[in-house]
Amino acid sequence: MKHKVVRKAVRMFAETELGPIAHDIDRDARFPWEVVEKMRPLHFFGLQAPKAFGGAEMDSISYAITIEEISRVSAAVGLCLTVHNSVGIYPIERFGTEEQKRRFLPAMTRGERIGAFCLTEANAGSDAGGVETLAVRDGKDFVINGTKIFVTNGGICGTSLIFAITDPQNPQRSAGVFVVERDTPGFTVGEIEDLCGMRANPVSSLFLEECRVPETNLLGRPGDGLKIGLVTLDTGRLGIAAQALGLAQAAFEDAVRYSKERQQFRKPISSFQTIQNYLADMATEISAARLLLYRACALKDSGKLFSAEAAMAKLFCSATATRVTNLAVQIHGGYGYSKEYDVERYFRDAKVTEIYEGTSEVQRMVIARDVLAQRT
Amino acid sequence: MVVCLKQVPMVSELPWDPATGTLRRELAEGMMNPACRAALEAALRIREAEGGEITAITMGPPMAEEVLREAIALGADRGVLLTDRKMAGSDTSVTSFTLARAIEKICPQFDLVLCGFATCDSETAQVGPQLAEELDVPGVGYVDEIAVSGQTVRMQRLSDNFLETLEMDLPGLITVTTGVYIPRHVPLGGLQAAFDTADIVTLDTASLGLDSERIGVKGSATKILNVTSPAAGKKNIVLTGTPKRIVEQLFERFDDKIGGAIGKDLKQDK
Repeated sequence: MKHKVVRKAVRMFAETELGPIAHDIDRDARFPWEVVEKMRPLHFFGLQAPKAFGGAEMDSISYAITIEEISRVSAAVGLCLTVHNSVGIYPIERFGTEEQKRRFLPAMTRGERIGAFCLTEANAGSDAGGVETLAVRDGKDFVINGTKIFVTNGGICGTSLIFAITDPQNPQRSAGVFVVERDTPGFTVGEIEDLCGMRANPVSSLFLEECRVPETNLLGRPGDGLKIGLVTLDTGRLGIAAQALGLAQAAFEDAVRYSKERQQFRKPISSFQTIQNYLADMATEISAARLLLYRACALKDSGKLFSAEAAMAKLFCSATATRVTNLAVQIHGGYGYSKEYDVERYFRDAKVTEIYEGTSEVQRMVIARDVLAQRT
Repeated sequence: MVVCLKQVPMVSELPWDPATGTLRRELAEGMMNPACRAALEAALRIREAEGGEITAITMGPPMAEEVLREAIALGADRGVLLTDRKMAGSDTSVTSFTLARAIEKICPQFDLVLCGFATCDSETAQVGPQLAEELDVPGVGYVDEIAVSGQTVRMQRLSDNFLETLEMDLPGLITVTTGVYIPRHVPLGGLQAAFDTADIVTLDTASLGLDSERIGVKGSATKILNVTSPAAGKKNIVLTGTPKRIVEQLFERFDDKIGGAIGKDLKQDK
């Protein structure tokens, strides 16, 4: 009953507050601060964070449903939320000291400081060990130099988690995650990227030049970076899977509606078997994707290992999103290729779900590693 | 304060059976009736200004618990569910009777009862006024705005294009329109707490001490025999000829409707 009510509440919010502007913010590549203002008191920026730090303490299925329903209306805003919550707040909550949580979390859960997770560099992405951003200890501080690219929420972030190595001779073992706040001298935001989809999210580069942070901004110990990254990405994948699922659901609903309205050969196109087959496949894949995702969420909440299931959910939900949005455009015909119809936006938004927070190829690596470890 | 809520089917998501012209209610998702949501919003704003406690009450199947949890998430202090198979099929009069007995039991000292002006599934607008009668308190319907001052409420409502200002002594009952009290969104943290920690008080016929002959379908004086949708007969008519001839045809065919719209008897004018 709770999950149904969460879905209804978030859907009502998304349809009334985001629905009327979703098309325009994509066209104008504009981040909707006015909606953020309304989301703040409703705990959208602290979905799973502890109540003590201002969060809603949602279970993971409620969290997935929330991201799904926001993304069903605007995937770019869903992206902001999932990154902020699952790879911005979560690592601090999980690996931070009490002092770090008190310092960083309340402003994040209030939505005053939006989170970003900065791993990708020109020469590092899927290969987290290839990070070149360097943090050099100087007394009780670290001085960070480097460039991060394709940072989701980059243009709006208040608190970013920067992956940096502390020993260039031993990058794998010296990776650390540093909390860097936007007003830190030497931290600058680059130009907003001109991307195919998710255009309302200001994805950007971030530059760190002689950026000095106290050692108390390091999460865990130097060398914990890879572990923090892997654990964080497991959770992040649930969010991206939910986002992809929301996109698929939106495209599917539009396709069903359109197929009943659109007349060809004096019949609605939904009466043709080819279209029915498309709709049947879409419905089946969405259902399977949803169950895979909720299962991974349930595993996480019961304290079990869920890395492989999260990777499966992310792999399958993102593949479903690209297939379903592609078919939704196909069912809409020429109109689907026009910006007048939302399916065109869904189609552009879906592709990146197969790329970020671990490409589909990386998800298969994670799944295969698990399969090979379990079976003899 | 007591706020009466009803769970209604979410018609926008409900399949319509074109063969019988009825809603396939078995597939219905429930939602809080929009006017009830406005009544709850009114209660929340009164509490913000004046303090007090809000009890949300609903009568319905066990699933109706949903709207109480939602009300608690929005800020109600407690939820009371009246549910019992014997209550099924209650008409508006029996619904008011049952609600009144429950309110007398759980909130005998209430100051104000708030209801939505009508529900979007049956649209009778009868339960509010009947409930005021059952509770033997004054009641005002279709209220847009409420201001409480001590034991008096001042209300505004738009009635036949006149803005009425009314005053009533408490305790009393008000039914609220959807015009002014635009409901707030549900806070997600509140929703988690409403499900994970809040208790709902559940009352049935026995715990209310009601005679089962007096309630539900047995106690109801009115029976719904049949529900049909008004069939909208649509037809395309293409008028041809010169513009003058087309206008003449328009008046020939639709003089009663056009006359009605402008308040003239066009047949007479001819």
